[in-house]
Amino acid sequence: MPSADRSPSQPAHDAVVWVHGDCLSPRGPALRWAPGAPAIWVWDDALVEEWRLSLKRLVFIYESLVELPVTIRRGDVAAEVAAFAAEHGATRVLTAGSPSPRFRSIVEEVERAVPVEVLPVEPFLAYGGHLDLSRFAKYWRVAQRHAYGQASLFD
Amino acid sequence: MTRSHATPPADTIPSADAGSPAPLPDRDLRREFADREDLIAYVAALFPAAAARDRHVAPTRGGRAAAEATLAAVDPAAYALTRNTVTGRVTRLGPYLRYGVLSLAEVRDHAINAVRRRGDTSKLVQELAWRDYFARVYARIGDGIWDDREPLKTGHDARSYAAELPDDVRAGTTGLPCMDAFVRDLRETGYLHNHARLWLAAYLVHWRRVRWQAGAAWFLEHLLCGDPASNNLSWQWVASTFGHKPYVFNRENLEQYTEGAYCRTCPLYGRCDFEGTYDELSRRLFRLEPADATRRGREAPERRDRGRRDDRRPR
Ligand SMILES: Cc1cc2nc3c(=O)[nH]c(=O)nc-3n(C[C@H](O)[C@H](O)[C@H](O)COP(=O)(O)OP(=O)(O)OC[C@H]3O[C@@H](n4cnc5c(N)ncnc54)[C@H](O)[C@@H]3O)c2cc1C
Repeated sequence: MPSADRSPSQPAHDAVVWVHGDCLSPRGPALRWAPGAPAIWVWDDALVEEWRLSLKRLVFIYESLVELPVTIRRGDVAAEVAAFAAEHGATRVLTAGSPSPRFRSIVEEVERAVPVEVLPVEPFLAYGGHLDLSRFAKYWRVAQRHAYGQASLFD
Repeated sequence: MTRSHATPPADTIPSADAGSPAPLPDRDLRREFADREDLIAYVAALFPAAAARDRHVAPTRGGRAAAEATLAAVDPAAYALTRNTVTGRVTRLGPYLRYGVLSLAEVRDHAINAVRRRGDTSKLVQELAWRDYFARVYARIGDGIWDDREPLKTGHDARSYAAELPDDVRAGTTGLPCMDAFVRDLRETGYLHNHARLWLAAYLVHWRRVRWQAGAAWFLEHLLCGDPASNNLSWQWVASTFGHKPYVFNRENLEQYTEGAYCRTCPLYGRCDFEGTYDELSRRLFRLEPADATRRGREAPERRDRGRRDDRRPR
């Protein structure tokens, strides 16, 4: 399997893990690279209200969280993650990548207090070249050659 | 994160407690629960505003164990044959993919291992690719996901679309049995089959002339797999701001892919809002030049456009 997981820069004993809503897998890159490191999830109260997330969505997330080795808190995400890192004397925060712009702004905010290493989730496509995203058909013309991982559609 | 409407007033958003003392263990939320009811009651107490809006909880369970059980039941060959019908063998993996409980690569690899002929996975792999595609667009445009990607191709002025979700749609009391059932499923289960999402979205945008953003925000409240990338770009595709033409359906199409579940007993059968050929419906709903009204099928052989052409074929 083409694993694009990049290992973090050093062993993880000085790190905490920030777990967020785009990677609630025990096999996510951050939890995998830092087994046993303290990990945190923060309920983003502002987001829950702004998006009016329904109880059923919140329950689904909570059920996923309790299967992970994470401390669960709530409030301002960046402030809580930075405080958690300080609490554990960590010099780095490890987390999984996400396409969300809110993720990027939280990372920037945390980085004012402590460096963050963003580890990519194993990509769907084993391909890092150019893709035309203007229409799915254009993307797929190229992507379909890389969408089967190590396997090829025809072997 | 900016959203184009329905932002609650600032005083309902709990403010960040910057400057509070170092976190204490008692700030940690619970991790141990006697059973699911216990967990649900706790989450409802943590988020009273959400619980006050709607108390439904989905039968779908969160977590990796539930995700793996759902994955084990996936049958890629049956999926390819039946996925367009609401009773078809769709995977129900949406929420697990949405929250990264499973990755697209894990699902793809599982599918490849589950079949004898690799070609049996091609339909599922292509659907997984839609999710990858939308996520890539999202990574590029960010909050631009809430803005029209392109002008509407309906012939109507964008300002003629209502900004808010109509009350009867939100409540599921439109009087159209199919649409009201979809609304009920959305609220009670957090899931709609892809075809039901298409029909409900098209009804809202084209028949009710409501901005797609209002529908997209509503879906994100309820769908367990609610995801700004896949959701908003699908709504835009229906609306025609991310595609060459608006998506519409007719009663025959809905009747076929629901196996008559709603139409068979519908008091409006034969005279509902969805009755007619695609040309008739296009003339009724859109203000297109004659050349535009008949330009279906000119597109590249994209999956959903092909589906749509098939859908349009009168049977
Ligand atoms: C108006 C509208 C709103 C939508 N909102 C969302 C959303 O918020 N989140 C979401 O994940 N999907 C959304 N979709 C896409 C699609 O309907 C769902 O992914 C699918 O129905 C989920 O059910 P399933 O897991 O049983 O899908 P399956 O058909 O079993 O597909 C397997 C997986 O492939 C991916 N997939 C399949 N079809 C699509 C598609 N057309 N676009 C993107 N990914 C796809 C999903 O991750 C899905 O879980 C929306 C579609 C429409 C028309």
